[in-house]
Amino acid sequence: MAVEISRRRFLQGSVAMTVIGGMSMAPSNLFSNEKEHGELSITTKTGTGEAKFVPTLCEMCVNKCAAIARVEDGVVTKLDPNPMFPKSRNMLCPRGNAGIQALYDPDRLKYPMIRIGEKGEGKFKRVSWDEAYDAILNGTDKFPGLAKILDEEKDNRSTIFFCAGEGMAEHTFKTFYTGFGSSNWLNHASLCLRTVVSGYGVTLGAYPQADLENAEYIIMAGANRAEAIVTPDTMDFFKRTKGRGAKLICVDPRFTNTAAKADKWLPIKPGTDLAFVLALTYVVVMEELYDKAYVEKYFNGFKQYKNHLYAEEYTPEWAEKITGIPAEDIYEIARDFMKHAPKAVYYPGRRSTFAKNDFQLRRAMAIFQALGGGIDTKGGLVFGKKLPLKGHSAVAPMYAQAEGVDVARAKGKPGYSDCAIVSGGGSWIGFRNRILEGKSVYPVRGMFLYKHNPMMNMPNVEKTAKFLKGLDLIVTIDTMPSDTVMYADVVLPECTYLERTDPVKTFGGPEPSIAVRNKVIDPMYETKPVIDIMRGLTEKISKPLFEITKKYDEDVQDDIADRGEAEVYKEFDLTIPFEHSQEELNEHAVSGYPGAYEALCKHGVFYPKMEEYFKQVSANEHVYYPDDEKAYSVREGKPKTNSGKVECNLANIAKKGVDPMPTWRKEYEYHVPEGKFRMLTGRHAQFTQSGTANNVMLHDLIHENYIWINKRVAKKMGIKFGDMIEVSSEAGKTRLKAYPTEKIAPDQVFFIHGFGEESEALTWAYRSGGNDNAVIVDEIEPVYGGAVMHSTNVEIRKV
Amino acid sequence: MARYGMALDYKNCINCKACEVACKEENGVLLGADKHRIWVGVKEIEGEFPLLSIASNTFMPSQCQHCEHAPCQEVCPTHATHYDENGVVRVDPDKCILCSYCMNACPYDARYVDDRTMTVDKCNFCSDTRLARGETTTACQATCPTKVRIFGDLDDPNSEISQVLRDREHFSLKPHLGTKPKLFYLI
Ligand code: SF4
Ligand code: SF4
Ligand code: SF4
Ligand code: SF4
Repeated sequence: MAVEISRRRFLQGSVAMTVIGGMSMAPSNLFSNEKEHGELSITTKTGTGEAKFVPTLCEMCVNKCAAIARVEDGVVTKLDPNPMFPKSRNMLCPRGNAGIQALYDPDRLKYPMIRIGEKGEGKFKRVSWDEAYDAILNGTDKFPGLAKILDEEKDNRSTIFFCAGEGMAEHTFKTFYTGFGSSNWLNHASLCLRTVVSGYGVTLGAYPQADLENAEYIIMAGANRAEAIVTPDTMDFFKRTKGRGAKLICVDPRFTNTAAKADKWLPIKPGTDLAFVLALTYVVVMEELYDKAYVEKYFNGFKQYKNHLYAEEYTPEWAEKITGIPAEDIYEIARDFMKHAPKAVYYPGRRSTFAKNDFQLRRAMAIFQALGGGIDTKGGLVFGKKLPLKGHSAVAPMYAQAEGVDVARAKGKPGYSDCAIVSGGGSWIGFRNRILEGKSVYPVRGMFLYKHNPMMNMPNVEKTAKFLKGLDLIVTIDTMPSDTVMYADVVLPECTYLERTDPVKTFGGPEPSIAVRNKVIDPMYETKPVIDIMRGLTEKISKPLFEITKKYDEDVQDDIADRGEAEVYKEFDLTIPFEHSQEELNEHAVSGYPGAYEALCKHGVFYPKMEEYFKQVSANEHVYYPDDEKAYSVREGKPKTNSGKVECNLANIAKKGVDPMPTWRKEYEYHVPEGKFRMLTGRHAQFTQSGTANNVMLHDLIHENYIWINKRVAKKMGIKFGDMIEVSSEAGKTRLKAYPTEKIAPDQVFFIHGFGEESEALTWAYRSGGNDNAVIVDEIEPVYGGAVMHSTNVEIRKV
Repeated sequence: MARYGMALDYKNCINCKACEVACKEENGVLLGADKHRIWVGVKEIEGEFPLLSIASNTFMPSQCQHCEHAPCQEVCPTHATHYDENGVVRVDPDKCILCSYCMNACPYDARYVDDRTMTVDKCNFCSDTRLARGETTTACQATCPTKVRIFGDLDDPNSEISQVLRDREHFSLKPHLGTKPKLFYLI
């Protein structure tokens, strides 16, 4: 057997990471511990002596895998997988293992800081927490504070907006937003999974999980589970591919590590998956391969959809021209899928919006899946069970002066949103561009930003920079001096996940459980968890801001005349949600389950009967629930929509100009002019977007990103491996090295997201590789305003 | 006294490199792209887009094979490289003079230079960390998302590894060299 065993790194060639000594310093040594800076970080060998073990949850990506931290002499020396958590099934991925380097990153934000240079210049002064809170309230000579802004805006709380990245403490931050009274909340959804969650939501009533432990046939299209790890999917799945129980059809324009595990790889033309699914559906409906009983019982609008498929002639032959996938493959896959149904999965995925039609694509996928009856059933898509938690007190005052969300509802008006549905998490690009273009309904002047890096995560970096420069007050809460933090007026350093206890979380699915992130060591430097930051901040600003409300809010004035100020203030007291410690809140949250809090402290995980059910069956395998206790089927297949049916035809969204049934439109066809390339972006297993960009261990694995260029094209252009390439588009330019490969089509290029930060305070991430969002054009998807990531044509040249 | 070996369900490997990071953190392996005890061999794919050979793109997880007839041990002039009581091929840094004979002799390319100690280093089955603490899995085994590795005592007929090697077909790398590796790749 011919096998490759060379230890040579495939992509890195001879690029080894050298010792960082003598590297140029960041403008201010505030960012780096001078002693550690300039020296190579070291790994610590675990000892054989005494150690303390703390169960925690990983935060190196969104999966929240369970880990056990080994602490020796107050130092975290190792993170091991915690076998007790059903979701992560006794594993930690490379990033999870490298969490130690996030904790001991010498570039971490260490102290509160306020801006002393120009906005975006990255010049700060170290201050105390109290001074930082005071600067937020009262400003400095460089920037106005909340008091001045809200006074000028007559207590329109919506002039300050809030945004957060995904995370367990996001809720704590959002509690502050609710009390503050702004209408403008942006989360990462419109840059991520908004369309997939909503597409499934309106069609099946929920965004389901896929039972990849039992599915026999899986179509994975536009999802790359070997490189974009999702737990437990990744673990369940790749033990069963390659002729071992799960047949995999991988549909992806690029040959990914998932394609390497497939039985069949179909290199589809980017953005045409909708045509592929419509043709699959056409075959299944025309040949009557669907589960008739299920459709009869649980479908709404099936006849209309069927007529629509026929009328539009969504045949495999039609789809072949659009997708590049041979018609016979489409016939075969449609038939095979239904042969295996309901143990067949069209994998929902969870990724950014790649093409304008993504919402319709998700609807079409959900309907196709349901045609096989694989809903709420073993081996199909499952809803599972969730163990409910108890809530805690919050304040949600009514501010009469606060305007609604910064979107005009009437078409044609300035500030009209460019998408059909204004969702809770908003449309980041829509919001940014409205303000940049002066179409804001009212002045938007400040923002609070938690664990979010718009300079890296949103298409068109130039516009984001301009947008940030235009804001009067930017407060960032983060662990790292990211590109966005450089634009802050006040920087509040959060501790890393290993230094804090976060809100306890319940994880639904066939094997539901509750898990908690326990604090492993005390926060280093002067960093704090978000809940402590919120407590300190609200103590500072709550009363003074109420004074402004009193000045402008007639309702409050009347109310005070009636009930007296002390009574009224109780409803406006922003400190209330943060009175208790996180540990107390967690204990309360699980107080409905006897023994849960103790189990969470001890094991990090709890579910009823865990002691009875949880078993280790071999060194690698564990059982969490007996088979007959797994919640594969909780509703006998009934969808979770209000009607209890699969919604094929959504008449109510038609009113908003959205196709009521998945429809292929001429405008979805895409043209790549001669000499240009369609730009694709994506993920891999050793990085989580820009969030891990400065992790020295991960940086070791992939030093920089490379641009994939088809080998034959590269040869024609005289481009060799490692040549520096400039990539440019209407939006901007970036530079990175070339990787000629046959794994990509001649008219496309690809590079992974998360590289090429410009913040000089990041020793390892600074200008390593290229930033995709510097070249991706800021187009939005028409339904929810999601950022469309794959519709930019770029030029490349060797420099 | 045991005879430790490892079985690898290599088809599970997704080339995520969790094993490499876990090994580095557990054993204090030097940072640096070329410093590692464990790696995944990847072959450049064959064919031209879109006609690519899926089968040509394999991931081969690899590390020191802990040969029973280890060429590195045979060439080591100072006996730094030796078999320990569990049949694990070890390097004693106090004896190593960095002559690099072993690096050339190893047919599996398992060894690298630790720049801190200026000695040769490689996988030792976590002998001085996890095994020394009485643990029964290696760091690379425990962390792997798809559970590629089974570590254990080949002399114990009831061990998981002995059972799996009885039940399933397997092969070893470069068997013609007569090194008798104790890493077994499961088919
Ligand atoms: S998948 Fe990896 S990074 Fe994400 S939570 Fe799990 S271990 Fe952490
Ligand atoms: S951890 Fe497992 S799947 Fe990942 S590279 Fe190592 S052997 Fe392969
Ligand atoms: S480098 Fe060290 S271990 Fe290797 S042969 Fe020479 S002395 Fe022995
Ligand atoms: S057995 Fe231990 S030393 Fe060897 S590669 Fe695995 S983790 Fe590293």
